[in-house]
Amino acid sequence: MFYLRLARGYRVPDLGRWLLTALAAAVVAAFLLRSLGRALSDPLGGTDALARLLWCLPPLAAVAWFAAVAARSVPARRPERIAGLTAAGAGSRRIRALIAGEVALACTLGSVLTLLLFLVLRNDIAGPSLAPDLGMGVPLPPAAPVTLLALVPLTAGLAAGCSVPVAETLPGGRTRGRTGFGPLRIAVPVGLVVIGAALELIALRPGAPADGRPIHLPAGLGSTSTAALGGWAAGALGLALLTGPLLAWTGRLLALGRPTPLRLLAGRGLTAQARRLGPPLAVLTLVVALVLTTVRYWIGTPDSADALPAVEACLVLGCTAAAVLARLAEVRTDRREITEALLRLGASPRLLFGAVALRTLAVGTTLLLTGGATAALAAAGLR
Amino acid sequence: MSAAPPDNDVLWARGIVKSHDGTPALRGISIGVREGEVLAVTGPRGCGKSTLLGCLSAQLPVDEGEVWFNSSPVHTLGRAGRERLRRDRFGFVGSEPHLVPELSARENVALPLLLAGAGNKAAYTAADEWLERLDVGEIARQRPDRLVQSQRQRIAVARALAPLPPVVFADDPTAPLHREAADQVLRILTSAARSHQLTLVLATHDPELVRFADRAVALVDGRLTAPAAPVPRGTPAPGTAGASAVTATRR
Repeated sequence: MFYLRLARGYRVPDLGRWLLTALAAAVVAAFLLRSLGRALSDPLGGTDALARLLWCLPPLAAVAWFAAVAARSVPARRPERIAGLTAAGAGSRRIRALIAGEVALACTLGSVLTLLLFLVLRNDIAGPSLAPDLGMGVPLPPAAPVTLLALVPLTAGLAAGCSVPVAETLPGGRTRGRTGFGPLRIAVPVGLVVIGAALELIALRPGAPADGRPIHLPAGLGSTSTAALGGWAAGALGLALLTGPLLAWTGRLLALGRPTPLRLLAGRGLTAQARRLGPPLAVLTLVVALVLTTVRYWIGTPDSADALPAVEACLVLGCTAAAVLARLAEVRTDRREITEALLRLGASPRLLFGAVALRTLAVGTTLLLTGGATAALAAAGLR
Repeated sequence: MSAAPPDNDVLWARGIVKSHDGTPALRGISIGVREGEVLAVTGPRGCGKSTLLGCLSAQLPVDEGEVWFNSSPVHTLGRAGRERLRRDRFGFVGSEPHLVPELSARENVALPLLLAGAGNKAAYTAADEWLERLDVGEIARQRPDRLVQSQRQRIAVARALAPLPPVVFADDPTAPLHREAADQVLRILTSAARSHQLTLVLATHDPELVRFADRAVALVDGRLTAPAAPVPRGTPAPGTAGASAVTATRR
């Protein structure tokens, strides 16, 4: 509880992170409770209950991802907090537990609010249209909502606690980390992309025999063949893993030849940050590509749109975008010293701003390529 | 309103007052730095050495008082003007190297030259030359995170000297170094200053290192305890006040 007193010193970004976590947790809790209500209303023995529960996994993963990336940025953005806690005698395990506890508390708050709303609505307030979703008229076993809702803070808290490296919670443990990519880290994604593209080409070749076991896709996306789905999954995973190395190469390309200070700072900076910027950007690109492909299919095919996946997509998009923002804030704070040193050398703020703009442009181009390829693979598989 | 500064003073300050968020750092300091001299500013930690160097090197705006460089006012300059002054006229070495981690050693050294608009070839030739002089020529293509602290600090010194600025500020440049390396770095700094007629303002907490300077002033709690008026080169500073270790030796 002591750590929570630090909340009094929270500034807008911290409060925003906390509120966003609580809000996302509330939405995930709503999904979980809806699946519970449906399970209560439906007759026993249906398989739909399990499917509905599985639908809650993507938003849960998104909340955990955001919690992990945001927690990872705490030692960089609030070094004084870590230093203060260390000076007060907190070890690395306790600091990680405190960071996890903070996230878990936000999630608990969101979940409890949703549960209260659920209980109030069940009390014959909701109209008949919502009745099956709430399991109205069926007695609620108290253990069920508690177990389900404990899942959200547990997952997010664990993800947050585990994402903070032990070294960063020790005094003087802040390191800039490695910057390069090993050969295996490049070979595996390239192999995945090649395999994925080949699989899709095989599945979609003219005159291919009709797949005997078509897979019914969720969210009203129709059905596709096993090979096409597998090819897309391998290709998308490969492209996501390849995002980091691609960003590093883009940086090298920027600083190629005899670079001006602008190109030198922009390019080398991008190469150095690729390892850290890669994962959240790759996840965001993957999600955006998937959502755009789905929306395109919904528009092209009448009566296929589905409300629930749309809400889920909004939540997942929000969480992944917030994760990117958290990582950007982390990188920015980490580079404050370097920026000051550059300004002391007489570099103009305009030059530094130009370097950031050039870097953003290069990152955007790279992401358009990987995202475009992911979306193209997905769209081809859906046809 | 102000009297013209003495002609032979390249840098000149009068009655400068500066506080950090209400904590007074400098309480009225007047000092003159002569062209081509090595001036040591000594004093314990927290006495205002860094703030004084920051004010003189156009990094920090002064609260009160005047700073003049080459008979033109610095205290009235805007942000862009101070930036230009730092880039074109001043070099700075801090107690931490503060290198750009993603640039190699020679790119770090060439950066101020590139920023000032020098050609690529000239910038990198000068960078290699200075790295060689500071005994770190063989690691010119490595990035700072692979180097030890003393090598990084030498790169920072090379970065400050490579554009041959008229004035070089060194704020406790030997803080991260062992005695041997500290002596070498200071010897290179002072000999470079003398051979290229650069002015060097050196802040140090170590009274021992004053032997590298032509003249020394001592700072205690934001005030000068020793006369800051320029003294003729090669003669001891008069009025050595108490234990403040004001010496002036010319080797």
